[in-house]
Amino acid sequence: MRIPARAMLACSALALGLAAWQAASAQQGAPEAAQASSTEDAVPNGGRRWWSPGEGGIFPQRLDYRNDRGNLRLFNRDGAFSTRGHPFFEPIGTNGRACVSCHQPADGMSLSVQTIRERWAETSGQDPIFAAIDGSNCPSLPQADPASHSLLLQRGLFRVGLPWPPKDPWGEGSIVPEFTLEVVRDPGGCNTDSRFGLNSANPMASVYRRPRVVANLPYTVHRNFGIGPFVGKTGEPALRDPENGQPVNMNIMADARTATLATQAIDASITHLELLGGLNADQISQINAFEAQLYAAQVHDNRAGNLLLGEGGRYIGPENLANGTVGVLGNNTTRWVFPLDESWAAPQPGLTEGENAMRASIFRGQQIFHFRTFWISDSMHLNTVGLGNPVKRTCATCHGMHMTGLDTANGWMDIGTTTLPWAREVPLNPWTEERELMPLFRITCRADVPPHPFYGRVFYTQDPGRALISGKCNDVGTIVMQQFRGMAGRAPYFSNGSAANMRELIDFYDRRYNIQYSEAEKVDLENFLGTL
Amino acid sequence: MTGRIFAAAAATGMVLSSQAATARDLAFIACPIVQDTVSVPCWLAQYEGETYYMGVQSDVSAPFTPPWLGHMALVEGTPDANGTRICGGIVLEPVKVSVMLEMAPECDTLLMADPDYVLPFEPRRPPGPSGGQLAFTYPAPPPPPQPPFAARSFEIYFPFDGGVNFQTPNALQAVLGYANAVSATRLEVRGARAAVRLTDGTVVEERQGLAELRARSVGRMFEGLVPSVQDVAVTYSDEPQTGDWQQRRVTITVTP
Repeated sequence: MRIPARAMLACSALALGLAAWQAASAQQGAPEAAQASSTEDAVPNGGRRWWSPGEGGIFPQRLDYRNDRGNLRLFNRDGAFSTRGHPFFEPIGTNGRACVSCHQPADGMSLSVQTIRERWAETSGQDPIFAAIDGSNCPSLPQADPASHSLLLQRGLFRVGLPWPPKDPWGEGSIVPEFTLEVVRDPGGCNTDSRFGLNSANPMASVYRRPRVVANLPYTVHRNFGIGPFVGKTGEPALRDPENGQPVNMNIMADARTATLATQAIDASITHLELLGGLNADQISQINAFEAQLYAAQVHDNRAGNLLLGEGGRYIGPENLANGTVGVLGNNTTRWVFPLDESWAAPQPGLTEGENAMRASIFRGQQIFHFRTFWISDSMHLNTVGLGNPVKRTCATCHGMHMTGLDTANGWMDIGTTTLPWAREVPLNPWTEERELMPLFRITCRADVPPHPFYGRVFYTQDPGRALISGKCNDVGTIVMQQFRGMAGRAPYFSNGSAANMRELIDFYDRRYNIQYSEAEKVDLENFLGTL
Repeated sequence: MTGRIFAAAAATGMVLSSQAATARDLAFIACPIVQDTVSVPCWLAQYEGETYYMGVQSDVSAPFTPPWLGHMALVEGTPDANGTRICGGIVLEPVKVSVMLEMAPECDTLLMADPDYVLPFEPRRPPGPSGGQLAFTYPAPPPPPQPPFAARSFEIYFPFDGGVNFQTPNALQAVLGYANAVSATRLEVRGARAAVRLTDGTVVEERQGLAELRARSVGRMFEGLVPSVQDVAVTYSDEPQTGDWQQRRVTITVTP
């Protein structure tokens, strides 16, 4: 019995597709060269927060935006540039969107639900972000009705339609899943839709997820600590870069389905921009070059003042991210995840008593993040990787990578954000008419594979996560976590937007792991997260 | 029993039982028990009225892999001949612990820490941030092989009923190193599954089909990593071999 040894592995189909697109696509005019190296007041569109596709203008090297907690700064390491003609900023698809539509600078290069609601109000739902393809609960719904966009308007979620069963990333055909996927609840209607659903001619599972952050990406796509031919948590082969065959860290998407920023751009141009002809090589290069040098982080706190002040602020702000060490573990006493030291918390001359008190709270929050132990239990790809169940550890155990708090790649894991009994669900009772917005799937692991270690053989999820790509029972509900930077600008949180704000995020962990945070600890943690 | 624990016992007055236990191997299935301490938690299991110590929480580099509450565990170990106890349990060393696949909600015992109890050794990894390195050092890779090269077999072991996991890639490094050093022309992966005779005489078998699953999944791990090999041969025998943990394996033969 033999199995073939393939020299070029994952994404070979994508690589071929890329070559075809490159050949087929007409070369578009090269974008304007960056026209300004010093553009201190070149805020696009007269200083408005919203960046419209194709509006042109200069993206300065530094650009600050206000949010509820203070100021977020964007930092282009390579300097200011003109966005005119740049494929990240131009509506190159057929639905009027650009990449920037859903990766807005003021929102930390994601898209907050506040911004989404403002766009609906300002455009009467005509903004391209509400495009039927993924900006509505299902393309088949009446698009003028705000109820058809409820997941986007209420939770900030875009539809992600994935083939079921999954395509085999290592060859032709499909994976034989280890579980059956049944639709139990489908308020958006797409999973039962005759054209887009699981029983359609092209069976698809529709899940709803937040846009990922397009900033600080060198930390996301690094090929340093933990990156090798195999996924460190499971031993399975890691995806590889179709251009050079090297293993990648699989941290870009929530379900780790894409290998590189190039393959992600290709995928997104089709599924989100509806770019029928595909990106050409120059466009991919421009998009990836922009993404590789853009950093975003908070620099000012409403109650603590200038976060860069003093000796200890070397973890704060995008410039320090641009100069930081990429792809190294931080959950240790020699480096730290967020290296805020006591000198930062020491009273600073020139600050008010209240501002210094806030800095002390932020420092305590960082200490809680690194040192406050609790019992982490029943979490797939954490408790199952040699630590035991439960494991007495801290926030930094999972959020361990230096400067961003990302997980060690390859990092999908399940803390229950999408899977019952932990996922947020509207309670059903005779006294409420409110109904849950999220779909619900029943997962039944096949009899010839082991049951899920913590959920058993039959369980329920709003989003199977990585399992929609791998087909593995153990991967159901596993999600690649998001970085911590720029959080203040991009609520809600978790891949399904189930935490409306930072307090709800902290409360989820408190309930999930019975941490029993005190109110003071929650306040300190929230203040800390708000500075990142 | 390691010298490390003996030294710790002498230094701390660790409890030694008045009646030395018989150094016979034990194999039993039981609920694991977590005994918290002011530092890292201990992992215990009980068998025939006695409590045994399996190890402490550490990190992924540790030779002891803690089991899971919510599941029973197969414990295979040798009780310390002197009856040395840690966290109240007789030390099992060496010890292999496998998580049983089916859920067992009755396995839920988490004992709170006795604030006066001090582990008789300094844990290599505290429950918070590390000291900047893994708790344990992986063995150094062997020196490059010298010609004439010969066919060589390597064995990769698994927990009971387990397949490829987080430990497999590290175990595979020696195979990959040798295969590439000798420009292997052939790789054969042979899978096996095992049965264990428990101390009470019961024989438990690993699940059917596991030999093939192990062989195929390990074989797939070589894809693209040994350029001189065009095909990886996968064979298996699903007839369970009764024995200890060394029967739960794949054997990889590298032919130059």
